[in-house]
Amino acid sequence: MRRTNVNDNQRAIRTLDLLKVFLRSFLIQASWSYDRMQSLGFAYAIQPVLRRLYPDREEYRSRLDLHMEYFNTQPYLAAFILGATARMELERASGRNRDADISGLKSALMAPLGALGDSFFWGALTPLAAVIAVAVLMTGAWWAPLLFLVLYNSWHVGLRAGVFVWGYQSAGDAVALMARYSFTKMARLFKAVSLAVIGGTLGMASNWRPELKLTVFPPGFVNVAAGLVITLVLVVVLRKGGSPVKLMLGLAGICLALAYTGVG
Amino acid sequence: MMIFYLHTLFAIFGIALVGGVLGLDRTAAGQFMISQPIVAGPLIGWMLGDTTAGLVIGAVLELIWVLDMPVGTFVPSDSTVGAVSATAIAAIGGGGHATPDLIGFSVLLTTAMVPVTMAVDGIVRKRNSRLADRAASAPGEDAEKKLSRAHLTGLAVFFLKSFVLYLVFVPAGLFAVSLFARFPGKAHIALALFVKLLPLLGAALIVRKLSIRNLDRFFLAGFVVAALLTLMFPLHPLIIILFVITAGYLATKESAFRQIG
Repeated sequence: MRRTNVNDNQRAIRTLDLLKVFLRSFLIQASWSYDRMQSLGFAYAIQPVLRRLYPDREEYRSRLDLHMEYFNTQPYLAAFILGATARMELERASGRNRDADISGLKSALMAPLGALGDSFFWGALTPLAAVIAVAVLMTGAWWAPLLFLVLYNSWHVGLRAGVFVWGYQSAGDAVALMARYSFTKMARLFKAVSLAVIGGTLGMASNWRPELKLTVFPPGFVNVAAGLVITLVLVVVLRKGGSPVKLMLGLAGICLALAYTGVG
Repeated sequence: MMIFYLHTLFAIFGIALVGGVLGLDRTAAGQFMISQPIVAGPLIGWMLGDTTAGLVIGAVLELIWVLDMPVGTFVPSDSTVGAVSATAIAAIGGGGHATPDLIGFSVLLTTAMVPVTMAVDGIVRKRNSRLADRAASAPGEDAEKKLSRAHLTGLAVFFLKSFVLYLVFVPAGLFAVSLFARFPGKAHIALALFVKLLPLLGAALIVRKLSIRNLDRFFLAGFVVAALLTLMFPLHPLIIILFVITAGYLATKESAFRQIG
């Protein structure tokens, strides 16, 4: 196996170790809890690197204990911190930087990366992939779920691998990460396109699959306009503080009233 | 009653197993989004011989729950349990050909289950603290093995949570479906209409969460482009969607250009 880093003390991390850490990062939230959050998951993921770098059992255990401290961030961008931690542990174990403040690095990175990742992955990428797939599905295409998975995971897995490698190479340089991946700019673009696609989906209401077509209104312009008006009314109601569950129950009640008054 | 047929019991058990695995993807493992309603619904529908019910339920629940995000300590509603249960109840209850009213009833039932799923999720995540304690107290040589075992036990706990929920929700839903058949005709009409209005509620939720304006210009631009193309030209819907994506992209570029100017 090729060694990625060899140093004076012959302490090195192999590519396979890094691959194992990356694969384990997919399980970082397996034991997520309210008080410890991803602490156990982080320690579990970094294990292969620690095992390689610290042959002495006591030292290995003390490093493992250190990584069981409180940790929580966006799970995909946790890969960046894992890559950075692997690199810092290498620096420490090889003696190049015995005083490396790994805990400080983790604490400094987890909150901003958490906010950035939540806003990009949950707030922009997921809705974009979802609205495109739903728009396609509404027109009758059965393969829309596959399109959703391809659209989402080509970004998700690609970025997750990219930030892991970048975290290792830059030893946790978050500024360089932001410069390399303009998450904020991409999030703004994705949100705007998502809004356009959801508007477009309503504009194509006459092409919707028969199970979802609004047949109470005459086809054509009236049907499409009615969909827009109802949606805008619902937006106004939501702004006043309605939750999805309450609104769904309310909508069912209105439908019941309409049915009994002869509409529908 | 339908739920006591042997093949129905097998189907419920199979759904609980598959649903349990899909549930792991929500937060515990991978997060490849196979747990999203748009994937979970059609998959369960296909398994039970009613892909259409799965596609319809998956699409509407995806729009409604997609922006219910797991931020910080907030654990959102379990849309996977909702999509899988609603599809299973509609597909089994409808004998493979669920009608729109039955689909509406199934969605409504699982909406009522949302607080239960959130409460159960909360209990599981609270109890998971014990796993960390178990790993932290690991003495000597077993530290690594104990940590891995404690951590991976979390996967089993999350799987069991969903598995048990399905074993309760799906039979309860099928029992409710047998009562629904005796509801007056107006109630069936109302729930068929309810399903058709759900995509509009989903669209409203997305506009509400992605924009600060009631009448967002990107939303309006997409609507106008799609409506004009649909009503005036006999284009394939997929081509219209591509036009809308391009319009949205160009609108952001124009907006950025105006800000610089």
